[in-house]
Amino acid sequence: MPSPTDDETSFPSLNGSASLHAFGRSHLSPDDAFTSPPRPLRSERSRSRRRKRPWKKLMWVKQSYPDNYTDQATFLENLQRNPRLKPYDFWPLVADSTVILQHVCSVIIFIVCFVGIFKERVSPVSVTSWSSGATFLGWILWERWLSEADDQDELGGVAATVTGRSGSMRRPGRAGSIRRPPPLRVDSAPSTAGPSAAPSAASSTTNLHLAVRWPQSGSTTSLASHNGSGLSHSLSHTPRASQEHLPELPPPFPVEENRSHQRLETIKSALLIYCTLLGLSPILKSLTKSTSIDSIWAMSFWLLAMNIFFFDYSGGVGAKFPASLSTNAALMASTVLASRLPSTNHVFSLTLFSIEVFGLFPVFRRYVRHFSWKFHVLSSILLVMGAGLGVGLILGDTKATGGGWPWKSGIVGMVVGVLIAGLATGGCSWWLIGLQKYKNEIRGPWDPARPIILSRPRWDDDS
Amino acid sequence: MTRRTYNIAMVSDFFFPQPGGIESHIYQLATKLIDRGHKVIIITHAYDDRKGIRYLTNGLKVYHVPFFVIYRATTFPTVLSCFPILRNIFIRERIEIVHGHGSLSSLCHEGILHGRTMGLRTVFTDHSLFGFADAASILTNKLLKFILSDVDHSICVSHTCKENTVLRASLDPLMVSVIPNAVVADNFRPKDQPATSPPGPNFALDAPHYPPPQRFGPRDIITIVVISRLFYNKGTDLLIAAIPRVLENHPNTRFIIAGSGPKAIDLEQMIETNVLQDRVEMLGPVRHEEVRDVMVRGHIYLHPSLTEAFGTVIVEAASCGLYVVCTQVGGIPEVLPSHMTTFSKPEEDDVVLATGKAITAMRAGKIRTEKFHDQVKKMYSWQNVALRTERVYDGISGTIPEDDFYGLDPGGYNGSRIRNFTLIDRLKRYYGCGIWAGKLFCLVVVVDYLFFLFLEWWFPRENIDICHDWPYKRLVDDDADADSKKGAHSNRSSTSQGGTKLE
Repeated sequence: MPSPTDDETSFPSLNGSASLHAFGRSHLSPDDAFTSPPRPLRSERSRSRRRKRPWKKLMWVKQSYPDNYTDQATFLENLQRNPRLKPYDFWPLVADSTVILQHVCSVIIFIVCFVGIFKERVSPVSVTSWSSGATFLGWILWERWLSEADDQDELGGVAATVTGRSGSMRRPGRAGSIRRPPPLRVDSAPSTAGPSAAPSAASSTTNLHLAVRWPQSGSTTSLASHNGSGLSHSLSHTPRASQEHLPELPPPFPVEENRSHQRLETIKSALLIYCTLLGLSPILKSLTKSTSIDSIWAMSFWLLAMNIFFFDYSGGVGAKFPASLSTNAALMASTVLASRLPSTNHVFSLTLFSIEVFGLFPVFRRYVRHFSWKFHVLSSILLVMGAGLGVGLILGDTKATGGGWPWKSGIVGMVVGVLIAGLATGGCSWWLIGLQKYKNEIRGPWDPARPIILSRPRWDDDS
Repeated sequence: MTRRTYNIAMVSDFFFPQPGGIESHIYQLATKLIDRGHKVIIITHAYDDRKGIRYLTNGLKVYHVPFFVIYRATTFPTVLSCFPILRNIFIRERIEIVHGHGSLSSLCHEGILHGRTMGLRTVFTDHSLFGFADAASILTNKLLKFILSDVDHSICVSHTCKENTVLRASLDPLMVSVIPNAVVADNFRPKDQPATSPPGPNFALDAPHYPPPQRFGPRDIITIVVISRLFYNKGTDLLIAAIPRVLENHPNTRFIIAGSGPKAIDLEQMIETNVLQDRVEMLGPVRHEEVRDVMVRGHIYLHPSLTEAFGTVIVEAASCGLYVVCTQVGGIPEVLPSHMTTFSKPEEDDVVLATGKAITAMRAGKIRTEKFHDQVKKMYSWQNVALRTERVYDGISGTIPEDDFYGLDPGGYNGSRIRNFTLIDRLKRYYGCGIWAGKLFCLVVVVDYLFFLFLEWWFPRENIDICHDWPYKRLVDDDADADSKKGAHSNRSSTSQGGTKLE
């Protein structure tokens, strides 16, 4: 860094030893700063006579180096490449991708059910009643898990035995859902959802300006508060307190009383949703009468695609309103689809079913994954098989079987579905791992620093 | 034998009346280059009613070209639409060197591209740091790579900035110079110092005119000044977290905060919650001229920024005789010597600790802040910046021999770093920008060249009037010794003819 006085005199020391090779390269890449060969010794000696002090990466010192001097030792020394790279392992990646698989499968199952209803192969009432029954079962299951979690919190040491017991309790419910008749088994899985998502579905539907408008806004607030307290095992009744997730707070009065209270509220809210839907169905039925059918298909396709792409796959158990855009899109799609159905009964059934599939089932899946990994895998497999089977049954030729169910094509669909799912998860995981070698994240002192602030809540609490 | 002078066009979207760092950099550099005998014009876009040609102090000519402004005073990035008017200006003013400023300024990029097509030498000054991760940065970096592929030389304001630019645009490090910003030290005097600077070119550190070192009793108030826009990347969150703790640990201290921004509300909330109204004073936005008056009210300057290419404000603070506490980010560690600063990591605890250390040191009387002004004055001056920029101009225009300018290259580089104007060589340089981008850039350059040929035919060069230069009184050359070193090839009139021809 020359000063006005010494820069002119110091520059001639650079010439003479300039060794310029003749090969055509117009740029030095950033790496060349590292890999370039060390300076010839001869010039080092001649330099050391003239320059006593080494170059420093400072601007306030007057240095006898030109402005474009690049110090080979320190240039880009703070460059970091891929500083936080965590290499993926294959099997954990596959395991994690089952979350996406599950969601896609449940969307497929919904579509299959709609087509079944639309083609009048399945009675809408049976779909709804089976799915509602499964939802009820799922709710009981969920209640049990929650109480186990409480017990574990309280007992601690005896957690193992509790888990063992719960495992045995869990299976019958699940087995019951497996033994159902095939077209209904398709929707049995999505419908096993806990009530915790009821408010989320409800509040999402409030945003759905098209159709479902809840007249009692007060009731939704109370739902939200109860859901929140159910999650947090505390009885704070204000909506604000319930939004904050406070699992560490001890329940103010006995757990059992608390729980039965919650159950009552949940049943109440479920009844409320049921009745509102019943009332709204006639309106929904004529909603898209003036729209042509192909635009309905296109619209619902895009809406369901939105649901899949914007779904919150990473959300944990505590997520309050997971991915409202995704849920809204799905519910809108189902509303639009339901409006093409012939009777009020159909419309009501499909809408209720969609709430169970898109509102409650994701939450239930999250809990399943949280509480039991084995069960999660089992449900993934069942979902894949169910989706494949459903698609096969729908695409199969009914005339060949004389009006009955084309079981053969259903089985083929199931096999193909399992194959596709396996290939897709394995292939995509393998591909992602393969792509990691192209990752080149550059970090250095020019990046904005991430401030570490500890006492942020300090002045929030003091007030 | 006179020193060679150049006709230089500074091209940037950012210029007065808009305030800011780049703006004042361009202005100061231009005036100092004019003082050294060069002819400098500034090309920027029109600000509101400020259109056409304006003259600033010392005959600095500013073209406010009416381009369409899209976002934050940046013109819409059309590739070719500026070419006719830029060509007209370049020919009118007999420009030899196009000097663009600011990597977010599309006008600067277009000026450099068209300047190269017209066969002019180009220099680019980068004032900011960019990351590599987010989409906006990736796009900007690609654009920068395009423009800088063919630029003759780049200038960065700090070594960190140089590393950043070299990485972003894949440049040859030797073709990037580091020339820092500077401050007008006389505008940032300490409180007690008279307006006229003390006579004598060099004064010893213990010169008699210094005021005695400030002594702080235990009850004396120490004032900490913060002047920054209150944005996230200026570290306002750190400031908000640190202020209550500093004030708690150190009674008899107070804060003065100047600046505005979206984080101001958080700051006010912090003041109210901790009931610090009498110890933290918020001044709101201050004009650049008033910064000094705010600074001299304090003893310590706290700069909690998260990213900073140079950090002119800490130099200004030191020049005002303030002890500086700053975060160790970006180019900041290069800027000031350690006896003027305390560095901290960008962590709340460390900021509190560093501020505490600074307060203790001030109280103990260990810091001779009264000497800071003269030291800073010797470190940074715009004359020096102009001199060093002039050397860059000399280097790219061949006044300094290439070997002399680029020196020893240990990287094993091929022949010439002097960028010639042959179209095929330019295309070769652009082609290396990327698999797809390279071809696209080549296409753009070819179209630009054809457009240039069209303009040459449609608006012939002979029909463009050459404007008169400002009638300067030439300053007495006080750097005659520097002149004798340079082989001054030509005087101004001869160089101006050569500059507008394609080689």
